[in-house]
Amino acid sequence: MTADENVRYAPEEPARLQWAKHAPEVYKAMIRLDAAARQGLDPKLYELVKIRSSQINHCAFCLDMHTKDALAAGETVERIVQLSAWQESKHFYTEKELAAIELTEAITVLTDGFVPDEVYAKATKHFDEAELAQLIAAITVINAWNRFGVTTRMTPGHYEAGQHK
Amino acid sequence: MTRTTLLDREVGRAMSALSAAAKKGIGDPGLAGLVMIRASQINHCAFCLDMHLRLAREGGESEDRIQLLNAWEEAEDLYDERERAALALTEAVTLLTDGFVPDEVYEMAAKHFDEAELAHLIGLITVINGWNRLMVSRRIPPGGYTP
Repeated sequence: MTADENVRYAPEEPARLQWAKHAPEVYKAMIRLDAAARQGLDPKLYELVKIRSSQINHCAFCLDMHTKDALAAGETVERIVQLSAWQESKHFYTEKELAAIELTEAITVLTDGFVPDEVYAKATKHFDEAELAQLIAAITVINAWNRFGVTTRMTPGHYEAGQHK
Repeated sequence: MTRTTLLDREVGRAMSALSAAAKKGIGDPGLAGLVMIRASQINHCAFCLDMHLRLAREGGESEDRIQLLNAWEEAEDLYDERERAALALTEAVTLLTDGFVPDEVYEMAAKHFDEAELAHLIGLITVINGWNRLMVSRRIPPGGYTP
């Protein structure tokens, strides 16, 4: 973490559980799933999807990782900062990115109801069927990582861009 | 409107591998079934509910335990403490947007499951949440699952 050495921050809490160590074949399957889901997707768009899902699910580790990866991939600080208020900063993003972000929110917050038709329809306007299937898979996968990250309380701050690529 | 039924084959295979790995590490099909049904209820996944209700019945799960799962907290006699800890964890991990998987829920689960079991249980809750998302977003209708 890049922090001011003269400031006393709250202590860092350890993770609850080293889940990958205790379930290595589950971790391996997640890596395989992640690789399959990202096929055919624009990496920059996918980082926006991953950041937005991680914001909604409050996954600190995932935010640390994906904001660093996005910056390393050439993403701007402004677009990352504005992402949680994208509805009021639409001119920072392309229509295609906005459709993907909206679909990300609907699939992430399933309990709000069923992925609305208008959200799905907007996505079909910008993604062909194969691409849309990948996008849905990719949103599903970041939601999965978020669940591991939050539940086992993985510690943010130590990720270096590209470390898990 | 019609939605896509496409699922990349490798994504499907990787999801199945993930399910299998998580289930194997828990080694309690009855408990796994309850987790699958409960997450699918919360996420409103019709396909997943249909599938996992069938599987639970085939696996010999009792009709009472299936019917009252939606109100398990008030049906104390039907589920033992280990199952209740797993169900509470399932709800917390499924409803992440409600906030962070509370310490008391996590600690209760950690009391009933050792670290390896817990890691696999978290994996199982995660994978059914994944299937729920893949099915709800593509609006895959119920009834399509055949054992």
